Amino acid sequence: MNTSLQDKIVLVTGGSAGIGLATARAFIDAGAFVYVTGRRQPELDAAVATLGPRAVGLRADAVSLDDIRKVFSRIAEDHRRLDVLYANAGFYEFGRLGDITEEHLDRSFDTNVRGLVFAVQGALPLMREGGSVILTGSIVATRGAEAFSIYAASKAAVRSLARSWAVELKDRGVRVNVVSPGPIDTPGLGGLAGEPANLAPLKQHLASTVPMARMGRPDEVAHAVLFLASDQASFITGAELTVDGGASQL
Amino acid sequence: MNRFEGKSVLVTGGSSGIGLAAAHAFAAEGARVIITGRDSAALAEARAALGGNAIALRNNAGVVAEARDLAAALASQQIRLDAVFINAGSAKFAPFADVDEALWDQSFGTNVKGAYFQIQALLPLLDAGASIVLNGSINAHIGMPNSSVYAASKAALISLAKTLSAELLPRGVRVNVVSPGPISTPLYGKLGMDAATLEATAAQIQGQVPLGRFGTPQEVAATVLHLSAAESAFIVGSEIIVDGGMSQL
Repeated sequence: MNTSLQDKIVLVTGGSAGIGLATARAFIDAGAFVYVTGRRQPELDAAVATLGPRAVGLRADAVSLDDIRKVFSRIAEDHRRLDVLYANAGFYEFGRLGDITEEHLDRSFDTNVRGLVFAVQGALPLMREGGSVILTGSIVATRGAEAFSIYAASKAAVRSLARSWAVELKDRGVRVNVVSPGPIDTPGLGGLAGEPANLAPLKQHLASTVPMARMGRPDEVAHAVLFLASDQASFITGAELTVDGGASQL
Repeated sequence: MNRFEGKSVLVTGGSSGIGLAAAHAFAAEGARVIITGRDSAALAEARAALGGNAIALRNNAGVVAEARDLAAALASQQIRLDAVFINAGSAKFAPFADVDEALWDQSFGTNVKGAYFQIQALLPLLDAGASIVLNGSINAHIGMPNSSVYAASKAALISLAKTLSAELLPRGVRVNVVSPGPISTPLYGKLGMDAATLEATAAQIQGQVPLGRFGTPQEVAATVLHLSAAESAFIVGSEIIVDGGMSQL
């Protein structure tokens, strides 16, 4: 659909499933060449198999700076450039005040903030004028989220980073924006629910928080990412695009 | 892309600037475009440039009776609307101490009251799946001197996207906002400044834009089309800021 994405080199972190995988597929449909990263090799292999020959899977843990470095070395070797970075890898689990552990806090911030910072920084040497960085935020960054405070805070940090980086990268012609999804129906909800029996009630609850009365689909988030990555968004930087069926807006 | 093949789209204030760019962008993707404006000559010129089956209707967006006339005129031609871009607006700037009632009334009369009743009048022409995009402004979010009335009117308009979205969701109609920052449009010639002041103002504004330039009407139009197309079906009551990063500094 976006002719401006033809033959672009794209990196999608956290691309084995859910929003990342749907976005990788949308980029490929638009003619791009896509690298996807994921933490677990079997899931990553399965994802790449469905994406076809214009996708390459690179196993990388989003918290490991060493893994991140290796990803960019590989892209540099293959293409010497990167046009779009979709920093999507994230971690979420419930944690209520009173039960917040160091591990919970560290893993959330190490993945969603620390890992993201070094992924974007690592991408910079490969990005040229016209490049686009898109970060996955969340609507919970700007509202209260019961038993989800650490995740929400980590995503508020992501939103903030985009503002500063948009200004810092102005002279390089690289745009930085955030896509903030509301409740999206992804396989990751299974992990959030814990017990399989909890999944249906969780989905029901999430859908009930959306004015459109349903959860979003991963491909609906992907459309927003592609819009921001394309030339159509050439005057949009430092901005946030909310894809939430009105959940945070009405 | 051909996202609007077979669709009918209304662009108010469509004879120049962002409105005209949006009209061209919609038409280029297959839409039948209806534009409105106050200036008959500009409308005729725009209609000719749009070609095809474009329709141009003279209309003053600041007069509620004309908003109803517009809806009636479309209804009489059996036109149903798939997308509406409420773009007609008034941009008058003055120091707080100098603002008079006339400036206030013109700004709110067009940007809020006119927009509100225009949307209301168009409701019978909208089916499920229709999308309304309002033209906001980053002025609603920043404290730019001399913009108090304009900024407040745009803040009110942006607020409408949320309440109207909530009320129109049962009909399957979405309302969203595109909020431009500084865009190169004929609007800047309408602000009542002399050339030197205009140039100095433009340079000063440009210095506040991280991307280092004014945006183009086409860049705003691209966002309008994104919000009007089915691809943004899960985006409701939301605002996309097209400002080269200006409001983020």
